[in-house]
Amino acid sequence: MSRSAVSAALVLAAALACPGEDPTPGTQAQPGTKLTQREIAFHCLNRLSFGPRPGEVDDILSRGWMAWALEQLEPEKIDDSALQDRLKRDCPSVFMTASEAIDRFRPKELKDRKSLSPEELLKLQQEFNRLRRDAQEEMRSAVVLRAALSKRQLNEVLVNFWRNHFSIDQSKDQCQLLAASYEEEVIRRHVFGKFEDMLMACAKNPGMLVYLDNVFSQRPLSEREKEMVERGGANRKKSEFIQKLERQRGLNENFARELMELHTVGVQNENVPGGYTQQDVIAVARALTGWTVSFGEDRCEFVFRKEWHDDDPKKIGVLNLSLTGAGGIEEGEEIIRRLARHPLTAKFICWKLCRHLVNDQPPAALVDKAAAEYLKTGGDLKAVYQAIVFGEDFYRRENFRVKFKTPFEFTISALRATGSSIENTNETLRMLDQMGQPTCRSKDPTGFFDQAEAWLDPGVLVYRWQFALRLASGRMGGITMPADYFKPILAKDPAGMKEALEATILPGGVDPATEARCAAIVKQGLKPRQAAEALLGALLGSPTFQEQ
Amino acid sequence: MTDFNRRDFLRASGAVFGALATGRFGLNAFADDKGGAVKTVVVLYMRGGADSLSLVAPYTDATYRKIRPTIAVPPPGADGGALDLGGGFGLHPSMKGLHALYKKGMFAPILNVGSPHPTRSHFDAQDFMEYAAPGVRTITEGWLNRWLTATNEGKRKEVELRALAAQPLLPRALRGQFPVLAVPEDRAMQAMDAFEDQYGKGEKKDGMEKRPDDPAERILGAGQETIRKLRFLQDILAKGEGAGGVKYPATSLGRQFQGIAQVIKAGCGLEVAAADYNGWDHHAKQGVDDGQMAEMLKNVSEALSAFAEDLGEARMKDVLVLTMSEFGRTVAENGNNGTDHGHGGIMLALGGQVDGGKIFGKWTGLEPKSLYEDRDMPVHTDFRLPFTEVLSTFLGFTKLEKFFPDWKPQAPALGFLKKA
Repeated sequence: MSRSAVSAALVLAAALACPGEDPTPGTQAQPGTKLTQREIAFHCLNRLSFGPRPGEVDDILSRGWMAWALEQLEPEKIDDSALQDRLKRDCPSVFMTASEAIDRFRPKELKDRKSLSPEELLKLQQEFNRLRRDAQEEMRSAVVLRAALSKRQLNEVLVNFWRNHFSIDQSKDQCQLLAASYEEEVIRRHVFGKFEDMLMACAKNPGMLVYLDNVFSQRPLSEREKEMVERGGANRKKSEFIQKLERQRGLNENFARELMELHTVGVQNENVPGGYTQQDVIAVARALTGWTVSFGEDRCEFVFRKEWHDDDPKKIGVLNLSLTGAGGIEEGEEIIRRLARHPLTAKFICWKLCRHLVNDQPPAALVDKAAAEYLKTGGDLKAVYQAIVFGEDFYRRENFRVKFKTPFEFTISALRATGSSIENTNETLRMLDQMGQPTCRSKDPTGFFDQAEAWLDPGVLVYRWQFALRLASGRMGGITMPADYFKPILAKDPAGMKEALEATILPGGVDPATEARCAAIVKQGLKPRQAAEALLGALLGSPTFQEQ
Repeated sequence: MTDFNRRDFLRASGAVFGALATGRFGLNAFADDKGGAVKTVVVLYMRGGADSLSLVAPYTDATYRKIRPTIAVPPPGADGGALDLGGGFGLHPSMKGLHALYKKGMFAPILNVGSPHPTRSHFDAQDFMEYAAPGVRTITEGWLNRWLTATNEGKRKEVELRALAAQPLLPRALRGQFPVLAVPEDRAMQAMDAFEDQYGKGEKKDGMEKRPDDPAERILGAGQETIRKLRFLQDILAKGEGAGGVKYPATSLGRQFQGIAQVIKAGCGLEVAAADYNGWDHHAKQGVDDGQMAEMLKNVSEALSAFAEDLGEARMKDVLVLTMSEFGRTVAENGNNGTDHGHGGIMLALGGQVDGGKIFGKWTGLEPKSLYEDRDMPVHTDFRLPFTEVLSTFLGFTKLEKFFPDWKPQAPALGFLKKA
């Protein structure tokens, strides 16, 4: 552990040395009071992991939550081999490079398609579709397994954040086979590294270039070339050259715009003076012409096509940058480096991280502090995470239990809270689709929202309730609650069951409506198993369990 | 039945509206308890960029067949030929039901309508249209939700279900401050029974109040809203009449429209309903009179004409169905017997107040010089112009001043809706 992280932790420890009293059960803690050590442990598990597993709050409390947090900041030192072995067995394709995936999931016979009969071609096409579906499902499955089972929980929480930040839709075109290597090479490789490296890896990754259409982006036709195409006109027997020119679609601004709007400096508006303009979008798009992907039968890689590149001079206002046009690929690289170092980027990235980890309306002081750390360290993400996690703001009561879990966070936290083992993820993934958060398939380049506003529509809770009931009664396909979870609970009387389940599922306290409901269940005189299932369902579907 | 259709069917049969075919008959006459007629707008979003030149074919245009050698709709009278609309245009041959409604004067297409924004990206174009704010990314509330919020006063505050999406997720046009119900599937709704005591139904809110800051209260409130609205919906559906022998297609779209018709027939003040139909991105093998495209258009035509028949002419006077898609497609077919993302598109309007039997929107032919960027249908009508007409002429909304950010109508109304 770096000296700075430990010293930041110690300063925080001193500040939190006089924790608040544990509030009397059933009463609300006063606003402004300090969190108790137990509440802090729960808070850390809610925000820096996908929620506590049974007994985990106590574990962390006895070890010290700070030691746990420091350990989580160095994921490479945490042994996660059981999960790795499982993934290698069940989801081997997530470890493949793009080329390996293309080679592995494409029927070899398709190479020689001219010699095939239409029937053979159709059959092979169907086989190809099946293989592609398998690849997608392996990736989706790996995302759930890692979030639920990894011991490197903070790593998974942050990967989830960045997967959303640099979102691509796994179901779009060739992304079907590229999304897994994209996640490995862009997100996972750099999650504790430099933002600049992650951004550069992203801009040169086939997954992103396909998803945001930069693969097609080419310098616009010159006047002379346009004339040639027009003269070709309706002539059906055009030369190959003319046909090629016609196909040349010219500039595609999609990636250039999102590179600035979503990935770095953020959208320009009256609150963000000095943001990028439409002229900047066009200039950046022109600088990135020729950043494309070379596809072969068994290979797929980023290439820079010089002949597609627009080598006119360009000016990018937001970066104060003038390019002569002679720089080739270095033009785009320079833009990306400068975007990564831009103060607006520092602010935007830190604001988003604080929104994700701390509060839908993140505390300005914390954002500023994290952004200062970002600029000081040249965008060292680990240093930024430390500034947030070991900032006093993170532990304030006004940030405790104030976020609304996304469907993914809800689902994974329920699997963890019940200590469930996962044989397969099919039904879990299907329910996530229904809850409106199809894993790896955000249709928008913005990724899924992480604010309550986006998820609290009337109707949406119904699917969470359905999931809660199915999980509680052992009817979630592919999911089993281990016998040792229910056994000690079933041995108790209903009041004892209630107490035990409340302590595991809602260790931060129970809302009054749920408390009343659980008390009513206790009085119903159900058989032990039924009572336990009813209680568990009520707790997982409660308002409190939706909080983070 | 293809794989897709079977899956579609199974999914749909679990929908809350799926069970309606067995509903009771003739119990409830249309009675609007507020005195005046309640107007209902139903928006159908055809996601993926529907090919306007297949929906309404300019069959006399010499260029049409030339640049679409394998996918042009043949002229009327030919085998699999278009259904004549007059003026050299024909409706796709699989849309017989809507053709009959055209002849009745209840149905009209709007040509070359779309967004002034040049994007050919599905997500941008859909966002821009549903927020009715092309290029403006600071708007995050759908245009119909903004209207619901702006008009939520007087007797409307008492209405439990002013708006719904006939599907488990809200389309963007209905997202925003005003609480709109997204109707979950039947099976999922059973889960509600177990949570009704825990959450309670709460009080009817008018949607205008500030949402509570306390997250637990907000979640509790959302749960109560969910339960109250769904129970209300179940209730009116149980009391309502069935489809009265009208045959809807056995597809999710058919069930969605049947469900919406049931709620309208219950006369409880429904003003906005939405349904999505995905899969219009026909880059390859779109076909002519058979194939994917024809199948989907048949589904639209059958669902909409059953809907009109089910509601009957009297009720249809107060109902408007408007279809839209994020953009049209390339005028020429591509190398895969399909079409690529284009620009100008098409809307279809159905209802008693539609000045039907006519084609709206300016037509400038298919010559390259009159196309957008030499390849796509142009946009002669900003989509906000028909939206404006829906809001003002049909819904009687007058506060249009700042409704569309940075935009005011630059052209007179198309007049596809008759004055009430």
